[in-house]
Amino acid sequence: MKRIQFLLFAAVAALLFTSASLQAAEVKIIANASVGESSVSADELKRVFLLEKNALDDGSHVEPVVAKGGPTHEAFLKEYLSKTDSALQTYYRSLVFTGKASMPKTLGSEAEVAAYVARTKGAIGYVGAATAAPGTKTLEVK
Amino acid sequence: MSFRLNKVLLSIVACGAVTLGAQDLSNYTSFTVDGKTIQIHGFFSQGFVGTNDNNWLTMNTSNGSFAMTDGGVNVSSQLTDKFRVGAQVNDRNLGQLGQWHPQLDWAYGDYKFTNWFGVRAGKVKTMMGLYNDTQDMDFLHTFALLPQSVYPTDLRDATLSHLGADIYGTISPKRIGSFSYTLYGGDRRDSLYGGYPYNLTIHGIYLHQYGGPVYGADLRWDTPLKGVLVGYSYLSEDITGTGQLNPSVALGGPNTLVPYKEWSKNDFVEQYYGQYTIGKLRIDAEHRRYLREQDVFSGQFGILTDVRAWYFAGAYRVAKRLELGSYYSHFGINWYTDVPGQVESPSESAPDRHLYDKVVTARFDLTSSLYLKIEGHLMNGYGGFLYPDGFYPQVNPQGLKPNTNALVALTGWSF
Repeated sequence: MKRIQFLLFAAVAALLFTSASLQAAEVKIIANASVGESSVSADELKRVFLLEKNALDDGSHVEPVVAKGGPTHEAFLKEYLSKTDSALQTYYRSLVFTGKASMPKTLGSEAEVAAYVARTKGAIGYVGAATAAPGTKTLEVK
Repeated sequence: MSFRLNKVLLSIVACGAVTLGAQDLSNYTSFTVDGKTIQIHGFFSQGFVGTNDNNWLTMNTSNGSFAMTDGGVNVSSQLTDKFRVGAQVNDRNLGQLGQWHPQLDWAYGDYKFTNWFGVRAGKVKTMMGLYNDTQDMDFLHTFALLPQSVYPTDLRDATLSHLGADIYGTISPKRIGSFSYTLYGGDRRDSLYGGYPYNLTIHGIYLHQYGGPVYGADLRWDTPLKGVLVGYSYLSEDITGTGQLNPSVALGGPNTLVPYKEWSKNDFVEQYYGQYTIGKLRIDAEHRRYLREQDVFSGQFGILTDVRAWYFAGAYRVAKRLELGSYYSHFGINWYTDVPGQVESPSESAPDRHLYDKVVTARFDLTSSLYLKIEGHLMNGYGGFLYPDGFYPQVNPQGLKPNTNALVALTGWSF
């Protein structure tokens, strides 16, 4: 009985780990070449996209770029911000309508996000893991 | 504004909103001047309130009222990586309140030295609890009316903003989440078209000015438990009101106007709050204590009001276009005064000592910018007349019944 319980636990743990890994692997964080860091913590990434930080720990100014929707956008929100899209839009609007922030750049496709990040100093965004993003650097999320 | 004219206006607004909403008007206006991007955003809402008996929020709700309109526009710009400026103007009419007198909602410069230290100066929205700084923008919320025990819409001037300065920042020690703080000081100047000045007119008091110094703090902890936020806010103020008094109304004196003054002796707000979000579910809970000891009638009498208020709310996004919510709001008031004729009922169970409200809401996001809310209120109690809490004797000359059921419908648009 104990062996069965252990095997069940191991199977569930493996399933959860695989699921999380798959989700993280669905999204690639990209940044403009001007961003000095090659990695960023999940907490720092969250703070940037929640407009609480506009500079990374090395002092690089960063400007988040968000997608308008889609599976990559949903995966990013779930994995890194723990917010639904409607909750994120409400959050951004609460900052805009109290004067604390400007609405972040929102683009309609991953190709547009990649192109904007490539040409805009300090831009940081997200695309699908398999999406080409020439002219950008990929940030490892620790 | 007459009921018929309001109805015509609503029809025009509704038709316009449906037509405009069919287009994607969630896009704000943005343009560049001298290399700086300037954004313009705005909002508009129109409501209807109907009640079964008592008239609520200074509207003639027992016959159905459309006297619930709010709107605003802001302009802002991030001038450098660290410095931004902006301003927002709003205008409202809520029954006898607001009366279409535009107000500067906020206007300030914000310099962020580091992530953990920044300064704002100007007219700044006051950080207190979960929703104090956004209580005047219903499009940001599930509910047509936030829990009135903690966020009374007729008294929002009292805490909404201050003219002064804030220091603020976020500190994120590893593994224990992040702490966001705000310390502020300044001056509060209430609109003379708010609920408190309106309430005083029943006593023959007509304020010309109401406000004074205010200072406070807010600390919130985004805990390492995913989705859990807790916080504490404190506000202290020294408020003076000046104007005129007709002694014949409340004191049996001569029918004339004499100078009037009232002032705070001890006046503070203390608020605890928490929020839990997981997926499409959000749960909020807040407790507020508002204590105010003041001298009134130019020092002739004293009043102490002690409000203990709390609510528990939940909201769930059922689908992309539909969110459902519900809350229980609890308002209890003690008062002590030597003003003639004002005797406190001995128990909070008396209707003039409490206001309990059970609410259910459906929010329909018709487009990304256009919404409709349908909300029901079951209220028990009406609070005391020394401190307004939604029920005013001026619009209830026949007296108040202990229970009020209300239907609120609200449509709005933001960009």
